[in-house]
Amino acid sequence: MPSNVVIDPVTRIEGHLRIEAAAENGVIKDAWVSSTNYRGMETVLQGRAPEDAYYITMRICGVCPTSHGHASSKSVEDALKVTVPNGARLIRNLLEAAEFIHSHILWFYTLAALDYVNPAKALEADVANTYALAEQAGTSTADFAAVKARLLKLVEGGDLSIFTNGWWGINPLTDPKKADELYNPKMPAELHLIAVAHYLEAIEMQAEAAQIIALIGGKFPHPMTSVAGGTAFSPNDDRVAELLYRFTKLNDWVTKTMIPDTLAIAPFYVGALEYGGGCGNFLAWGVFDRKNQTLDSRYLPAGFIETAQGLTVSKPDVGKVKEYVEHTWYTSPSGLNPQKGETKAMQSWSDSSYNVEDKYSWCKAPRYDEKAAEVGPLARMLVAYLSPDNESNKVVADTVNGALKKLGITDPTKLVSLLGRVAARNLECAVISGWTIEWCAELAAAKKEGTAALFEPYTVKDKSGAGLWEAPRGALGHFINIKGGRIDSYQVVTPSTWDLSPRDKAGVPGPMEAALIGTPVADVTRPIEAARIVRSFDP
Amino acid sequence: MAEIHKEVYGMAVATDLYERLAAHGITRRDFLKFCGTLAAVMGLSQTAVPQIAAAVGEAAGSGLYPALWINGAACTGCTESIAQATQPNVADIVLDILSLPQMETVMMASGEYAEKAGEEYAAANKGKYILICEGAVTEMLDGNVLRIAEKPYVEILQHYAEGAAAIVAVGSCAVDGGWVRAYPNPAKATGVKAYLDANISNPKKRPPVVNLPGCPVNPLEIIAVVVNVLLTGDLTKILKDPVKELNLDRQNRPKYLYGSTIHDNCERRGHFENGEFVYQFGGQAEADNYCLYAMGCKGPQTYRHCSKLRWNNNMSWCVASGGPCIGCGNFNWVDNNTPFRQRMRRIGAGVIGGPGGLGIAKAGAIVGGVVVVGIGAHALASKATHRIGKNSTLKNEEMKTYDARKLKKKGGSADA
Repeated sequence: MPSNVVIDPVTRIEGHLRIEAAAENGVIKDAWVSSTNYRGMETVLQGRAPEDAYYITMRICGVCPTSHGHASSKSVEDALKVTVPNGARLIRNLLEAAEFIHSHILWFYTLAALDYVNPAKALEADVANTYALAEQAGTSTADFAAVKARLLKLVEGGDLSIFTNGWWGINPLTDPKKADELYNPKMPAELHLIAVAHYLEAIEMQAEAAQIIALIGGKFPHPMTSVAGGTAFSPNDDRVAELLYRFTKLNDWVTKTMIPDTLAIAPFYVGALEYGGGCGNFLAWGVFDRKNQTLDSRYLPAGFIETAQGLTVSKPDVGKVKEYVEHTWYTSPSGLNPQKGETKAMQSWSDSSYNVEDKYSWCKAPRYDEKAAEVGPLARMLVAYLSPDNESNKVVADTVNGALKKLGITDPTKLVSLLGRVAARNLECAVISGWTIEWCAELAAAKKEGTAALFEPYTVKDKSGAGLWEAPRGALGHFINIKGGRIDSYQVVTPSTWDLSPRDKAGVPGPMEAALIGTPVADVTRPIEAARIVRSFDP
Repeated sequence: MAEIHKEVYGMAVATDLYERLAAHGITRRDFLKFCGTLAAVMGLSQTAVPQIAAAVGEAAGSGLYPALWINGAACTGCTESIAQATQPNVADIVLDILSLPQMETVMMASGEYAEKAGEEYAAANKGKYILICEGAVTEMLDGNVLRIAEKPYVEILQHYAEGAAAIVAVGSCAVDGGWVRAYPNPAKATGVKAYLDANISNPKKRPPVVNLPGCPVNPLEIIAVVVNVLLTGDLTKILKDPVKELNLDRQNRPKYLYGSTIHDNCERRGHFENGEFVYQFGGQAEADNYCLYAMGCKGPQTYRHCSKLRWNNNMSWCVASGGPCIGCGNFNWVDNNTPFRQRMRRIGAGVIGGPGGLGIAKAGAIVGGVVVVGIGAHALASKATHRIGKNSTLKNEEMKTYDARKLKKKGGSADA
């Protein structure tokens, strides 16, 4: 079936992405996800010092550099059999938590909200009623009159800046009703105004989270202290107190604004519980180490779920990962485990090079046990939710069940959907921000007890290692082979590689492609529903 | 519109901006302090503070300034960096100061409507808009290695560049290819200026390019350039002599942002002079904020203002948090600064040049500067450098012993 839906470029993401889909009778029947950029990080790393990879690989992603840095340092530590000391473990947890909170706030408000919230409709809101609604929804208030006036000023100025063309070819000022049909017209103008006010406030809050990253890592993006062996950051008492103060402020905002906003908007999009679930397989390497630093004891543990076989979690084995390249623009061998992986890009381009029937992406197609697997907050929350032996199980289950109850959802399998993916991210944000307060206290106590060592020296040897960790958007693996004291080969399997993967050797679609298939699209020329699916993965 | 004005040191400032800043907890005093930092960085006297405040206030109160932001082979870190600006924050910038109908990471429109937003705006504002470029220009596969809306990015860059009044290349990738161009440069990356010089139809008509290297760019660096433009006030005046009006050096960098090294203003400089170095992370020396030079810090050879501007609303900067500088503001920074952890060596012609870098002739002047300003004045550390320069395989213990022996002769102590 020829494609009749194209989104290129997909905006409000990190990097460059193209979506093609074929819709029939208002439903997507087939879809292709194309990553349209190659930079060559893995090749650039060859021959360099192993500890330099920390500084270079974080430049893969300006939104999640912290996670790439941690995965890189962990790959070196795994190769050299270095266990980072307790103090470094806690500081890395705090640094990574700030990264997650930053990224999740940025995603929900700055990147995704404009698919669910219509800023033009906010102009119709009654300010007094907006306060009443905010109180009723249990979310925080803002100077709603000022926000409305500011929007009005922008509209009256005639230059919509970043909102230009935001309504898929509809002019929201001359045709407000039609523009609102892109959203749920039943969602009151006052809720739109609340969301716009918090959209602006979120800019401050993501910056607050980034300031914590800067406190520990020197700057954000690209913090500099989680070096292989531990951390270069020295947490004196003032700094620990400052961390606690700042995390408390963030936690307060996440629980009093972000979560109530999510629960207030979700009822207007309950239809999104019925589609967008995707491939049904979920993989997490886990993130936030506990004292013993094993993958399945992590605060958010490692696990693999194949929902077709039941809602059970198995312990993942990295040896079962293979990357296929049949539908990509790479010429290196297909089906390699990333520890033995290679990356060679093709060297000539013609008009037929992009062909969804053949080759169409710079993303390889990673498969776990020959299956496509979704990674990200939904995968992590499901794994924790279904891991009764993990210490985090209770807090995750309580958080998820609480939200399900508020939304009147009785069947937890409905979480495997577009709305479930969106909600999982925000609920995870609340769970993590709660943990940060505990970790600050644990760090203060460890300092007193003298168990807060920061660095474990090591000697570089010719070994191989894997750094398995999570970025906010999903499972992340860095794979290093050291030879002659230098990097012989280096492979990175990012969350986007998993979720945005093209078809594999057997022609099985990647998780985002699978999630698009079956998604209703009311108007193929304005495929906002498809855009929601794509952004729900936080690519 | 900003009709009411308040007097600040005799200058009128739109109250709109103050009200907005107050709404997110920033007082007028904070804002003036921020303008003071800008004045200091821009090499202006503190008497320029009210002028800066007035210029920003006016800009926030009048119509939006046309600008387009395009992303090449980027990690989006420079966009992220701008999102960390607080006074004004990114919402103030995109809603009150700059019109940015094209900024992929935040714009509302998607797909063909996103493409049209930029396209139509560029046509309507031909010759008037500022083009902000993030990310490397990748030439592999005739530029098809990065395609946006079915076109190679290089075509999009060239198209928008030809209609721009001026171009700002933000971050090392846009300036010279950044890490993407590091050996063996698999995606054939280069910088915006180099690409346009080689490909634009009439090179004499190329709009001026302001280079802001660094990985990432510091939001204050962009704001400083905007303030520079606002203070000059007249775009035609700037375009007539951009090098003078924007105070650019030979690499098109504003001199006031890249005229001194990290080391010049480093808060750990005192420890450098005392010979007090960190030799391993995590120890007492690190807790005491000793100098990171022995850990490979590239501060002395890196021309950037991190130690003064700091990062994330003045929170910290790499060295303050314990991370040695890796010289991300240098040209071809990955090739020229790795191994990052090796104590600086090879001080001499060529260290900053290197393959595809600045070239020996240009580097000579800079290296001279490093030696004189950064190290030459300090006999102790300078000698240590030369010693290590001859034998870069010295281990931690040997370095410590060497530094201690040298220091003893000078009558100090090296307790690390």
